[in-house]
Amino acid sequence: MNDFLSLFPLLIICSGGILLMLLSAFERVKLENAPVLSMGIFGAAFVMQLIASGIPESTLYADTFNGMLVSNGFTHAASLVIIGCGFFTSMSCHTYFRQNNPCTMEFYSLLFFAAFGMLLLTLSRELITTFISLEIMSLAIYILVGYDRKRVTSTEALLKYLLLGAFAGAFFTMGSALIYGGAGSTKFYDIGIFISTHSAATPLLIGGTFFIFIAFLFKVAAFPFHAWVIDVYEGAATPVTGFMATALKAAIFTVFANFLALNSALQKEWVDFLFYIALFTMFGGNLIAIGQANIKRMLAASGIVHTGYLLIGLVAISTESFTGSVIAYYLAAYAVGTLGIFAALSYLGGKGEKRMSFDDFKGLAKVRPYSAAAIAVFLLSMAGIPPTAGFMGKFYIITSAISAGQMALAVFAVVSSILSMWYYLRLIIIMYFHEAEDAFEIESSVFAPACTFILVFFVFAIGLYPIVV
Amino acid sequence: MIQDYLILSVILFCIGILGVVSRRNVLIVFMSIELMLNAANLAFIAFSRFHVSMDGHVLAMMVMAVAAAEAALALAVVILLHRHKGKLDTNVFSLLKG
Repeated sequence: MNDFLSLFPLLIICSGGILLMLLSAFERVKLENAPVLSMGIFGAAFVMQLIASGIPESTLYADTFNGMLVSNGFTHAASLVIIGCGFFTSMSCHTYFRQNNPCTMEFYSLLFFAAFGMLLLTLSRELITTFISLEIMSLAIYILVGYDRKRVTSTEALLKYLLLGAFAGAFFTMGSALIYGGAGSTKFYDIGIFISTHSAATPLLIGGTFFIFIAFLFKVAAFPFHAWVIDVYEGAATPVTGFMATALKAAIFTVFANFLALNSALQKEWVDFLFYIALFTMFGGNLIAIGQANIKRMLAASGIVHTGYLLIGLVAISTESFTGSVIAYYLAAYAVGTLGIFAALSYLGGKGEKRMSFDDFKGLAKVRPYSAAAIAVFLLSMAGIPPTAGFMGKFYIITSAISAGQMALAVFAVVSSILSMWYYLRLIIIMYFHEAEDAFEIESSVFAPACTFILVFFVFAIGLYPIVV
Repeated sequence: MIQDYLILSVILFCIGILGVVSRRNVLIVFMSIELMLNAANLAFIAFSRFHVSMDGHVLAMMVMAVAAAEAALALAVVILLHRHKGKLDTNVFSLLKG
């Protein structure tokens, strides 16, 4: 019964996607109502996931799935973040597609398939299950990125993402083949046992792990593989960008942490490698973000910086008592801030995303004071100013680095956090200390503004949660 | 014995990487990616034989299924590209910059 309850949110998401696809084939629902329906299904899945959250660590249907799926507190938290991202994304899609080229119903069913892949990714404890769920997620996301077929920029984004994503996927398969050769199994648990009895330093295991790291680091846009993310985020539709930036990162970091935590010997082997990747990701992201004039590109680059902080969380994993709470908390804190600002951009962007550069938002506070205040809250949360969620997230990441003995990394994280103020505060200054040139007329739809203000509440709620509880 | 298969697999994989990096035609690039996936399949089957278990065969099947799905999407993208630009060169796309 517990197994079924843990899988139930996954089943709701999957059948929701199929249901929407069928409804669109038979044209039974108006396009206007599709986001509402999709919100309803995501909401139901969220409630079921909340109910399932109390279930302790268990191997789901150990006989049927052969120990490939495991759920625990970490996967429950990550699933909550992913389903929440889906909910708020459909909410901002409602407004976004009124102002831009309208989408078709299949858009929402693809959103569900992407979420399904992500949820499966958090549960998977086996390399090929990971590969398949990774591809379910990626294929759906590729189509979402290039959904607006008439826009050349979105086609270009799709091409770049698909080429590099498939390339990274090929590395992942080769990596799992090598690990299968070295350890004789693709199950995380069996690989862990093999490493503890033999050694992690055989050529096959080192090569395989390296290839798998390349694939993961590519998907989360860490330092040497970050170049695609800026173009793809700019070319995709704003709500899709928000979904990619948050839910996708949550799913990959969950499976990455599970993979690293499988054995302490493996983690020790790679700690130095991850140290430098985290360092370069933070500072490289900051350098790119400072030079951007377009808000979406700036947010993409700041996403790279946040990947760097999450990598610090991975460096500081203690494999003996791994709960993933630090990483899950940071993912939730980062998700509310980023989703919020993309929801705000979805309705403030106007027709055909005409307002996307820093200068377009001059004097927003004079015309739309509430929206400007909401954006300011999200930016301050991402910069890590108390009492927002972003501050607590960074606080936990840095304390975990210190307790893992990575003092240098903790100092670098603080320095990078101060550097990131530059571009976050720049937008706030532009919104508040300039005269308005634009009337900021927008399509009247309550969904995206409502989504923005709910997320403002969540920024503070998640920030205060550890203090209250 | 197993070394021969592994060397072949690594050679195929490297040809795939070279193709992705050096070729500019989108179709050729996708073909190279398929080659990389098939190199991994060969390694899976060789290791499966080496460990005397059927796991590797099953995994190779799974990878093939995923590769087919990816190829379907890739061909759709090629058609989309051809409609926009009339060319299949990756260089013609340089709108997103900054």
